[in-house]
Parts: sequence; C-alpha cells; structure tokens
Amino acid sequence: MNGDVGFFRKLPSALPGLVLIVLTMVVIRLWIEPWMAHTKVFGMEKPLTDAFHLNYILLGIICGMLYRNVVFGGKMPAVLDDGFKLSRLMIKTGIILLGSLYTVQAIVKLGSMAIFLIGGFVIMTIAMVLWIGKLFKLDRSMTGVLANALSICGVSAAVATSPAVEAKASQVAYAIATILGFGILTMFISPFIGHALGFTDLQYGAWIGTGILNSGQVLAAALAFNSNVAPGTAVSVAEIWNIMRVISIPFAVFAVTVWYWAGKDDSDPGGRKKSLGSLLVEKFPVFVIGFLAMVALTSMGAFGEVGIKGGPPASDTIKMLRLWMTWIFGFGLVGLGGYIDFKELARAGGTPLKIGLLVGMTKYVLALILVILIKDFLVAI
Amino acid sequence: MTVYRHIAVAVDGSTATAEALQHAVRLARQSSAALTGVFVLDGNWADFIGNDWQSSKGARQGFLDHIRREQEQQAEAARGQFETAVAGLESAHFSVLAGDPTEELVKLANLPGTDLLVVSRQVFQVSGRPSLKSLARILAQKASRPLLLLG
Repeated sequence: MNGDVGFFRKLPSALPGLVLIVLTMVVIRLWIEPWMAHTKVFGMEKPLTDAFHLNYILLGIICGMLYRNVVFGGKMPAVLDDGFKLSRLMIKTGIILLGSLYTVQAIVKLGSMAIFLIGGFVIMTIAMVLWIGKLFKLDRSMTGVLANALSICGVSAAVATSPAVEAKASQVAYAIATILGFGILTMFISPFIGHALGFTDLQYGAWIGTGILNSGQVLAAALAFNSNVAPGTAVSVAEIWNIMRVISIPFAVFAVTVWYWAGKDDSDPGGRKKSLGSLLVEKFPVFVIGFLAMVALTSMGAFGEVGIKGGPPASDTIKMLRLWMTWIFGFGLVGLGGYIDFKELARAGGTPLKIGLLVGMTKYVLALILVILIKDFLVAI
Repeated sequence: MTVYRHIAVAVDGSTATAEALQHAVRLARQSSAALTGVFVLDGNWADFIGNDWQSSKGARQGFLDHIRREQEQQAEAARGQFETAVAGLESAHFSVLAGDPTEELVKLANLPGTDLLVVSRQVFQVSGRPSLKSLARILAQKASRPLLLLG
C-alpha cells in the first residue's frame, strides 16, 4: 500500500503516460497558446487570455482533469497510470530548480517578511480551528488534522498529523477532499481576482503563498497569474511564502500532538508524544533541502548571474534552467490535473467541509486584505 | 423460490453491514447455500493522498502504515462479525481482498459462480474514502449477476 514510484525502475511502464503528458503540453504551448493570443471572439480581442487569463498552466491542469474524469471515465487506464504518478514528482523537482531564482541575500530579504506573515497565519489558523472544533463538538483527532491541514500545507500536513493524533481513515479522507476542493477553487479564481485588483507580482505572490493551502496549487495559481519564471515574478514570491509554511510542518505537528495528548486520559495507551527532534527527521519535507541546496549553489555563482532587476542580465545557464522549469511545471501540472478526482471531491461533506470552507475562506480573504494594507511594506527582490 | 448455491456478502464489521449480513445468512440457510463474507482492504489511499516522496517519505509512509493498521483492524472486526453470524451454517468462509473496494465488488458481482451478492448501501464507508459512497450505485450499474442492495 505504498504507491511510490522509483524513477528508473518504473520508467518503461511510465512511458505511455509520460508521452501523453508531454504531447499534451507540446500541443498547448506550441499551438493552442499562440492561437489564443491572436484569436478574436464576438469582436473581443484575445478573450481567452485577457478575460479568462488562460495560459499553458491552467490549460494543462484542465486537460489532466478532463483525461481522468471525462475521457477515461473517472479512472486512469493502467497503461497511463505509472506515467501520471511519475509526473507528480516533477512539481517538486521544479520547485527545487526554482532555488536558482534566489541568492541567500534575497532569501533572507524576502523570507524575513514571509516568516512573520506565515507564522502569524499558521498560529491564527490553528487557534481558530481548535476553537471552532470545540464549538462544533468535533472529535479531537479530526480537529487536530484539520488544524494543521488548514494552517500549513493541506494534504501534506493532514498526512503528517493523522498518525500522531490517531485520526481515523474516514476522517482524514473527508479533510483531504475538503482541502483539495477548496484548493482547486482558489487555484482557478485567484488569477482573476489578482488581475481585477491590479495586484503586482509581489502582492499576488504574497497573497496566494499565504492563502492557498497546497504547494502544487500555489505554484499553479502563481504561474496562472504570470507564467514567467524569474526573480520578482509571482511564482518566485509565492514559493518563498510556501516554503516558509512547509518548513513549519514538523513544528505544527509537534504542537498539535502535544495539544491532542494533553486532552487525553493519562491512562490511555497509544502512540503518545514524539520528540520534536524525531518529528523533524521524520516529517521534514525533503524537497526543501534540495531547494536550499540550489539557493546555496546559485549564491556561490555556480550558474552565473541570476538576473535580478537592475543588476547584470541572467547567464545562459540560468536562462536555460528557467526554460526547463516552465516545461517541467507544465508536465507536472498536467499530472496534477490527472489526479483530481471529481467523484472524491463531490462526495466530501459534513462538519469537516463546513469548518474547512469557513476557515479556508477566512484565511484566504484575510490574506488578501492584509497584502492590500501592507503593500508598501512588502519587500521586493 | 429461487435456490442459491453460492451467496457472497460484503462485510465491514460496522452496524451498517449487520442487516445485510443477517439477510445473507438467512438466505444461505434457506437455500443450503455456501456463504462467503468479503472485506476489501482499500488500496487506493496512496493515489488519494497524491503525495510524493519529495514532500516527506517518512510522513507519507507513516500515514499509509497507519491507514493499513486501521483497515486490518476493521478486517478483523468484519471477520468476527461474520463468524458470529454464520454460527451453525454448514459452508461459510471469510475472505480479505485488497484493491479498490468498488472494483473488487464489481468483479465479485460478475463472477459466474456468484449466484447472489448481498451488499449494504453503506458498506466500507466506516473506513473509506468519500467516493465509496457511490459504491452501491456503481455496483447496481455494473453487476451482471443477481444483486441485493440493503440499507
């Protein structure tokens, strides 16, 4: 019951799925995107790009969703399954490569701002869910899972927290379905809102990096707003915010576990509390280490000039890395779309859905208001 | 009265499947049929969480092990429920399958040897993913052998 896919071992069986993903993205980027950029509908110039803000990222996700839910009737055929599973690794691989957008100085500059906002939002969201959970008389395990899932990083946090608070499978399933449903909604509406409010890349990145729950969805929403991958673009800001949040997973799991066991009968046997040290080893997100290694290499000049605004232009290596990233993200997001199962989302419900929507929407709107209020204080790189 | 030689029933150890199980046992006694109780360990969790090793392999595997343990406990509860209900029945056995619960039950409902499949509409929801709420509906659409849905 693992489902992990070792890259080289599974490559032959993954080929058909990967070929479909690559072909999909090639068709989107080489034919559909250029067509959308010139098309005229009902007298409107470029409505698909200007009014609907469709780009290769959103189109890729939509194609993935259509493959699974419409073309293949709700389940990926076995012949394509391994390829779509493997493509999920590309999102995090792309985020590791994103480390080449930053130097250590830029990370410190951007991260110091992010750490306050993210820290504040994580603590506020956990407190809010614990309070609402008590109000709704929700099971403590379920409350603990929802608290971390809604405050940090959606599915990863739910998965990391569940065993520590003895959550039942059915509880986690409903929490995950709620988070994914909310994330998909925000992933598609955020670019509209961002453009309608005239947000800069910095504001938009800070907003969605705080307000959207899952790494993949933050990435997609950022690239849907501005598909450029360069220092100062929406994706470069949003990912720093996102990584700050992801890093807090082991700490939040520790805090919620302590809260959970503090409310249990002392004679109750069970997994009990784990030390913060063991949680850090067990739950620390591996891709963050890769990302930080990439930042270190970039800072040492391993790839040449980064191309920060006002500085020397980016080196050819950096330009090539950024081009690769756009394709890698494109492939990964077709795969992400291929794993959005409408049946699972449509069947979410009950108290987790109510709390999830209430807290998720509160956080999303508060983050929006905050980036409007503090726009002059946001630090650019 | 229709005579059944082999009846299958989906059991998950919860009160939701108790009625279906009692019904299946009654029919098996009336027909002197063999009765098979089935529990399916849900193998779709890895896909459902959609999480990869780069996020944190320890957390992911810990979660999947946690779910697996819970499902194995549920399977034991189902076995206990089944064995209590079939006491005195001549031919009865319990089977634990693994895979997608909906697909496994559809396969069972299409086996030529299955004269009747008895299923509660709430089966496997006690330990399952949200889409398992559609299990009964899909089964009704895809079963080619006689199917009895209860609850």
